[in-house]
Amino acid sequence: MKMNNFRDTWTVIKFTMRDLIGRKSFRVSTIIILVLIVAGFNLPRILNAVTDSNFNNTVLISDPENLYNNQLENLNSSELGYNFKFENLNFEEIKTQINEHEISSAIIISKKDDVINLQYIVDNAATMASTPTTLVDALNSLYTNLQIQKLHLTSTQLAQISPQFNLEIQQISDQEIGGNITVMMFVSILLFFAIYFCAYQVSSSITVEKTSKIMETLVTSTSPRTIVLGKTIGIGLVGLGQVVLFTATAIFSAYAFLDPELLNSMFDLSTPTPYLAFIMILYFILGYFTYALLYALTGSTISKPEDIQSANMPVAIITMIGFYLAYFTLIDPTSELNSFAALFPFSSPFCMPLRVMMGIASGWEVIGSIAILLITCSLIAHIAIKIYSNAILNYGTKMSLRDIIRTYKEE
Amino acid sequence: MSGLILKNVSKTFAGKLVVDRVSLELTKPGVYGLLGTNGAGKTTTIRMLLGIITKDSGEITWNGQEVNRKDVNFGYLPEERGVYPKVKIYDQLMYFAELKGLSRPVADESIHKWAKRLHVEEYLEITAEKLSKGNQQKIQFMTAIIHNPDLVVLDEPFSGLDPVNTDILKSIIIDLVKQGKYVIMSAHQMATIEEFCSNILIMNKGKTVLQGNLNEIKATYPVRRAIISTNQDISKYLKDFQVEHEKDFTYTIKISDEKSAQKLLAKLIENHILIEKFEVEKPTLNDIFIEKVGASSLIANLESEA
Repeated sequence: MKMNNFRDTWTVIKFTMRDLIGRKSFRVSTIIILVLIVAGFNLPRILNAVTDSNFNNTVLISDPENLYNNQLENLNSSELGYNFKFENLNFEEIKTQINEHEISSAIIISKKDDVINLQYIVDNAATMASTPTTLVDALNSLYTNLQIQKLHLTSTQLAQISPQFNLEIQQISDQEIGGNITVMMFVSILLFFAIYFCAYQVSSSITVEKTSKIMETLVTSTSPRTIVLGKTIGIGLVGLGQVVLFTATAIFSAYAFLDPELLNSMFDLSTPTPYLAFIMILYFILGYFTYALLYALTGSTISKPEDIQSANMPVAIITMIGFYLAYFTLIDPTSELNSFAALFPFSSPFCMPLRVMMGIASGWEVIGSIAILLITCSLIAHIAIKIYSNAILNYGTKMSLRDIIRTYKEE
Repeated sequence: MSGLILKNVSKTFAGKLVVDRVSLELTKPGVYGLLGTNGAGKTTTIRMLLGIITKDSGEITWNGQEVNRKDVNFGYLPEERGVYPKVKIYDQLMYFAELKGLSRPVADESIHKWAKRLHVEEYLEITAEKLSKGNQQKIQFMTAIIHNPDLVVLDEPFSGLDPVNTDILKSIIIDLVKQGKYVIMSAHQMATIEEFCSNILIMNKGKTVLQGNLNEIKATYPVRRAIISTNQDISKYLKDFQVEHEKDFTYTIKISDEKSAQKLLAKLIENHILIEKFEVEKPTLNDIFIEKVGASSLIANLESEA
């Protein structure tokens, strides 16, 4: 009489998307994440604003014995990140200035038995951000230079005493790694959350249909395959839309609010982005489908919302293993374990896009990884749809593994 | 052959035979009653004829064609009531109408037509969780008939409804039959089945225990009771009968056959008793059901013990 599978699937997709987007919790969480992204990229500015207005970074240097021969002002040209004030004050006077926030700290220079003493005075040593080693090094260097000047050496002798050091890095491996590992790990985490949370939605959506007893009406209206695929695609499209929205907001915020130098140091902007975007979207879709169909399977085996956590636990463990395998092997992207993670279907969605981003994945490696992921995804789809078809009308207690296997074998 | 035909349909779950060679024929428009206690196999039979679950053996045809999920588009009101709690009524009705093959304009027209008939028009734009259970049930009834199906399966359609809404649903079912629709109704209220169904099937523990035309079945059962109303105490004339009930000189007595009732009537007249009412009552479907299901339960229990 009827049964236009494509039209039915599209109807389920539309309904699933409208239902998800219409939820207040979805809209509120999306807005919160967008605000957090924009705020995150403004963090350096916010910190600077806070620092400028409330934090005094002035260091007073007191040299009562004039050991530096009035050359301390040279420190101003060394870009140490401090403002300097040069005045010979005693401890009590310095204490007053610190208490009145005129200065943040002070150094009193003295000499005894050929030893230069630097007395560093702060309000509270326990709350000190760090030992001012750069400042001590600068004072040390300045003092050394002053002493050398007193020796009246020739320029050749000076060059021999303080030669220029030039560091040149050469790698043995012919693999060029582009990009910043920290950023890669951040992207890996983003991919994980996007895939995991979207896939989890499929499970809870199916459980809602079972617990609200709508399932029986639904399966007389269309086939279980249509329901699973429509629901999975619908939630996936909304998730992909969310990821694109978040990514676009992040890119826009990065360009609008971040220091261009900092941005260039984090991202290799010369990377061919359309190919990378294609790879990332492809892995998002395949990774999402692999996990979403697993969650569809677990969602169909329970009929009470309180059973969701325990039923989803095995899939959550697989997800964690996949993610951590990709994440921790990224520390050394050239390792064999990372190459394995890029091929292993449960970790490749979190790993391969980053290898492509770093420019260390060969074409064959990418094709092989996609093929393995596609085969795994199809296999899981076949199993999940079959179990879903047989299990959705089960309203008893949570199904055991044996029940699930028996259900799979049922015609 | 037109209509719905089930021939020796069986289903086993986890080694347990839950439907055992059930057959039924619904070859002309009307309401067919499916009766049985909880766990008798009614829902499994319904799910098989709807194509939701596959049968192990037997044959199910609709208008001569084997029934399978891909081809049928029957209407179904399940016993387990369910709606999407957080979705607007109109949206979920449109969803099911589209899944059942209606275009949006046709579905929109159908939704408004049935919403008006069931007095739920004002609820179309609110979410289902805000509706009473009775109104949710009417919404689900709408999903069963919104696409104008030729066969409608109603599992306990009146449970939980108030008398006013029960009457609305009854009038719709009568109209469906007038329009040439086939209806299968499962209910625990025997009076409802007697009111609507010309043919019935009683199941117990997966087996058919009684089947056929309701009037013909009743005719084969002997009379059971007589109800007598008088203006005085007639207890002394009823010593040979078991009195089931007595109130204000109205007596309900058990009788073995119509002859014994006639004898009693003659005796009362002979003794100048003023009789306001003398009715020989035919067995109700409830009596038949209890007798059939009770007896077969006993047999099944004995078989399992043996």
